[in-house]
Amino acid sequence: MPRPYEVVYIFDSSLEDAAIADKLTRLHAMLGEHGTPPADLKVDLWGRRQLAYTIGPRETGYYVVARFGAEPPTLPEFERALRLDEGVVRYMISIHEHEVGAPPMSDDDLVATRRRDDDDDDEE
Amino acid sequence: MRRPQKSCPFCEMRVRFIDYKDDRTLGRFITDHGKILPSRLSGTCARHQRQLATAIKRARYLALIPYVKGHTA
Repeated sequence: MPRPYEVVYIFDSSLEDAAIADKLTRLHAMLGEHGTPPADLKVDLWGRRQLAYTIGPRETGYYVVARFGAEPPTLPEFERALRLDEGVVRYMISIHEHEVGAPPMSDDDLVATRRRDDDDDDEE
Repeated sequence: MRRPQKSCPFCEMRVRFIDYKDDRTLGRFITDHGKILPSRLSGTCARHQRQLATAIKRARYLALIPYVKGHTA
């Protein structure tokens, strides 16, 4: 069963936009079946951004966020490709936690959560 | 002595999952030096404080917020 993942890439900002797009296509092709990108792939290009601290000599990075569903066994190979790619300064793969068709917390939920937290306090 | 209950800012905004990519929100929960603000000061509930700590650590790794502010190498 596919799981929802989210990857944040920080590419070297000295790369051309076309080169980054190329890399993304190549990387995402590893995630789907038969070398095709996953059907539910969503790519969000943040573009060049100031880093909060310098990473080596770099002060800016090209941020890209991608969300997709993939089979867990495809990930190690994907991660290896990311690690070996010198254009990728940093990356992070995480489970995409989001509202799974659930509405935001209702008033009842909120009251229940508060009550539970209050109980926790009492145990201290 | 029991301290007065503050209301959790995330519960008030009905947040279920704290987003580690939202550096503006996370920035409100770190000190001037970049430390994670304790829940006794921010009023964050236990569940959201745990999520917040993870989110801040992820955001630091991704260079969205600094590990230490005002530090020059």
